[in-house]
Amino acid sequence: MPSTPTRPDSDADPGRIRERGGEKITKCCQCGTCTAVCDLATPETSFPRRQVQLARWGLMAELASDPAIWLCHQCNDCTRRCPKDARPGDVLQAVRATAIETLAVPRFMGRLVARAEATWPLLLGVPILFFVVLLALTGHLNVPQAPFPLGSFAYELFVPHNLIYAVFFPAAGLVMLAMWSSGRRLWRRFDDAKRRRGSFLSNLVPVVVEIATHGRFSACGPSESRKAGHLALVWGFIGAAVTSGLLIVAIYVMDEPMPLPLAHPFKLLGNLSALLLLAGGFLLVRGRLDRDPNSSASTSFDLFFLSLVILVIVTGVLAEAGRFAFPNAVNCAVYVVHLGAVLSLFLTCPYSKFSHLLYRTLAMVHERMVLSPSIEDPQTAPSEVVVPETVGVTT
Amino acid sequence: MENVGAFVCTGCDIGEAIDVAELEEICDDGGAKTFVTHACLCSPEGVAAIQESAESEGCDGLMLAACSARCKRAEIGFDDSDLIVERVPLREQVVWPQEPQHEDTQMLAEDMVRMGLARISKLGPPLPIDETIESAVLVLGGGLAGMNAALAAAGMHHPVVLVEEKEELGGYLAGTTHVVPEAPPYDAPHLNTLPGLIAEVRAEERIRVCTGTTVEQISGQPGQFQVSLKGEVSEQGIGIGAIVQATGALPYDASRLTELGYAESADVVTTHEMEAMLKNGGVRRPSNGETPRRIVFLQCAGSRDAAHLPYCSSECCATTLKLVSRLGELCPESESVVVYRDMRAPGQLEHFYESVQENSGCIFTRGDVTSVGSNGNGRIAVALHESLIGRDMVLDADLVVLATGMVPRSADGEAIRAYLDAKARSETSDSEVQRAEAAKVAEGLKDHEGTEILNLSYRQGPDLPVLGYNFPDSHYICFPYESRRTGVYAAGTVRAPMDAAQAAEDGWGAAMKAVQCIAASERGEAVHPRAGDRSIADFALQRCTQCKRCTEECPFGTLDEDEKGTPQYNALRCRRCGICLGACPERIISFPEYTVDAVASMIKAVEVPDEEDEKPRILAFMCENDALPALEEAAKRGLKWNPWIRVIPVRCLGAVNTVWIADSLSSGFDGVMLFGCRRGDDYQCHYIKGSELAADRMGNVQETLDRLALESERLKVIEIGRDEFQRVPELFEEFAETIEEVGPNPYKDF
Repeated sequence: MPSTPTRPDSDADPGRIRERGGEKITKCCQCGTCTAVCDLATPETSFPRRQVQLARWGLMAELASDPAIWLCHQCNDCTRRCPKDARPGDVLQAVRATAIETLAVPRFMGRLVARAEATWPLLLGVPILFFVVLLALTGHLNVPQAPFPLGSFAYELFVPHNLIYAVFFPAAGLVMLAMWSSGRRLWRRFDDAKRRRGSFLSNLVPVVVEIATHGRFSACGPSESRKAGHLALVWGFIGAAVTSGLLIVAIYVMDEPMPLPLAHPFKLLGNLSALLLLAGGFLLVRGRLDRDPNSSASTSFDLFFLSLVILVIVTGVLAEAGRFAFPNAVNCAVYVVHLGAVLSLFLTCPYSKFSHLLYRTLAMVHERMVLSPSIEDPQTAPSEVVVPETVGVTT
Repeated sequence: MENVGAFVCTGCDIGEAIDVAELEEICDDGGAKTFVTHACLCSPEGVAAIQESAESEGCDGLMLAACSARCKRAEIGFDDSDLIVERVPLREQVVWPQEPQHEDTQMLAEDMVRMGLARISKLGPPLPIDETIESAVLVLGGGLAGMNAALAAAGMHHPVVLVEEKEELGGYLAGTTHVVPEAPPYDAPHLNTLPGLIAEVRAEERIRVCTGTTVEQISGQPGQFQVSLKGEVSEQGIGIGAIVQATGALPYDASRLTELGYAESADVVTTHEMEAMLKNGGVRRPSNGETPRRIVFLQCAGSRDAAHLPYCSSECCATTLKLVSRLGELCPESESVVVYRDMRAPGQLEHFYESVQENSGCIFTRGDVTSVGSNGNGRIAVALHESLIGRDMVLDADLVVLATGMVPRSADGEAIRAYLDAKARSETSDSEVQRAEAAKVAEGLKDHEGTEILNLSYRQGPDLPVLGYNFPDSHYICFPYESRRTGVYAAGTVRAPMDAAQAAEDGWGAAMKAVQCIAASERGEAVHPRAGDRSIADFALQRCTQCKRCTEECPFGTLDEDEKGTPQYNALRCRRCGICLGACPERIISFPEYTVDAVASMIKAVEVPDEEDEKPRILAFMCENDALPALEEAAKRGLKWNPWIRVIPVRCLGAVNTVWIADSLSSGFDGVMLFGCRRGDDYQCHYIKGSELAADRMGNVQETLDRLALESERLKVIEIGRDEFQRVPELFEEFAETIEEVGPNPYKDF
């Protein structure tokens, strides 16, 4: 506890939480029902009641350093039980969105992504335009014409691999750097950083396993469609990342000709990943459209992210399928959009909803390291609320 | 009564439980003119049989040995000016709780019939009251409650004199533009409708409005008050039937809240100062006239605090919500923060709270304020412990609004009287020591000097007695509006903290009680709790020793005194509780239906068996208000009790004269029990002080018993509630065991 009193001033701007999806926060009467139903709550934390009040005061710096907000799986039990319809789940989502913005390196990128409702044409348009200009400057802005060296159209004929590497390797480096800085910032800021014991890596392994299986996500008791959608998306991304690595191996080590035949295991993995991403995206979007009570409020911040993911998937699938169906001019256009969308996804991921992958992982490792026995193992945490059954008529 | 007819019902198993024929001889011995039994006295045939027999024998009194007087009132009703009726509850006290056809049961029934006959033989018809009754209602205070009381009384065709000390009607609400919502959807403040109400009052021809006026004196009694006014209207001898005191409340003195910085900074204001700002056109910082950027409201400023006001004033939270809502409209650029201990928005106000939460952007937080002072930068620093996030916090504010509570505008009549008495004694007492002592008492009560509001010319003081926190004393639960001065009713915030809607309703409630009091006075009847009782006290003043016990102990200020200290009875102020009868050592006070002699005769009518019969006798005086109904409840629920008990109902435990204890013991009773209501801070005594006085008096009697070497255990005072019927048989049994241990009354055979 800080020795100097907290001094929320008028600049703390508690209105930001309302703008970012937590607009029902003012209805909160601090009764603590949310804390009573939350699996993450401990007697010390009063999570998420206390966090809602901190948000009310606009004390964002304090919230950003609270591991609990990252541990929340947005199961929305709190929102469903809230007697005042203050939607604490939405408030926490807004808190996370705001925290992502505060942690952003560089700051302006955080602000740009945070205001996606206005900046999305810029965020998407600039990367696409970048590719158009790059192709023009390098003399590749023309549709390859038959005869093709390998008999059929290949995207490498349009955009050489080296050009892609020249863009994406530095982009990946920038993203890593940004995430490293933001992650380090958060890691140092966590409330009880001094209480951490043990090594980071040894604690990271079980956390990654847990993420991979979505163990705690299930314990949280969200609807099946959200868990399935999220899991499909996570594994789709992992599959896509692995495929990208394997493709480099295929090109430079195995010296396979591009494009790979459809039956090639790498191709199969790539297509499976694409299917998972499609299915995951579909499930999550449907959840939102159905106004599933477990679903959070749709803000432009997460809609931007979700739309970008879907754009990447759809253009990717279209580009692949188009080779067999569409005129090559169309395929090239789709491919440019695809590359732009991927670049946009890359560059915005430290500032978009995607970044919770980093922050949540850090929070989970931190949590393991401070050895909080009550939530160390999700199996021991009280995960089910016993609802007394209505006494029926004796038969 | 001379010609008493005895009627015994054999229905409801009475005929099976006892030998009714045996009662005839007892009635004969008791002087009854007739003896009639009937299988169902409460049937039309039974009533016809009573009437026929009573007429043929020329009866003036009836002893009906059947069920309790609390039952079948409609079926067996006789006008008390023609026939005095004594009901002997054989069903409730013999048939239900005792073993049928048992020797002890028969003895109990016979004793009860003897007691009934003994009592009725001593009773007379009620004394007639033939006095002119004024129908006008005096309403003191022209605020919301007062104006509503005036309109209500006028609407019931009573002339009203409405006295307001200020130049304008309106009271506290005149200083506000809006009120909290009072109608659906309860989501925004309503425009103050006071101007319309004032116009309505002014237009009502039955209401005489006297602004700029106060009361100089009120003398007399309900139905016959004589009121003198001073100020703009200066007039003597205004005839008034009943009075509504609606003098309102004042905001708590914020300068005493030193820790909240009221005295220190001009930018710390109270709720009502904020109301004035809103009324006068805008919210500015008093120190520099700037529009405040952040306004911090501190709830419970001096409320629920033992050092200031220990109670909740109930409307401050809603008023703050109203101000926050108004500020949202008037200065949308200002930010509001409300620091509360817990927000209280009962009933429909919850909708208002929700609406303000949702629409105003105001931050509501629970917290304990530790200090309010300058932040050194022209703003105010409010230091608090924010208990929702568990953090010490400093809020920089431009304006701090203290939600201060209500202090009733009452005067402590008894304290004023004590002050005046002490002051007089400090000048006139014989000895130096006495004068110094009195001067010291007067000094301690000096704050009460000149605080009179009603200026009643009552022996017990010029204003209503007050209970906790200076609200006028009343039997709050059973009788709101009621005070300890018959015919004077408290309404609005002087009675209890409340909001505007409640105050308006309170005015109507009190006006209805005032009108009811006037109507009861016209019929010569007591107002509650003995509503309808026409018996008034009779003082045999030639035997009075001017001991002043009656004038001092009457809880209702009924008695005044002449210069010698002789009591002067005001029948219409009287509640007929009989506490004066219990107090009088000379036994000069009696009611037609309740005399020292009548009860003494009942005691003596019981046939106490000899010591060797081993049948002790215990007398139980039971308060009619709660203890007796509890006893009957026990019987109704099938509980059984000791047959040695003989019950005499009394009007109040305070109406038990100590001579009856002596009579009981000298008649051979082995023990005496007194059952009354609870006393103390949460008293349930219907006459406020009766149980307390009884306990004191019986304590003295017990000392005397000890001195006479007669065990003090033979006398026991018990406090019991109406709902504690299960305890009654247990208490009888316990006491019977005590009596067996102590042994028989040594006076038994004399």
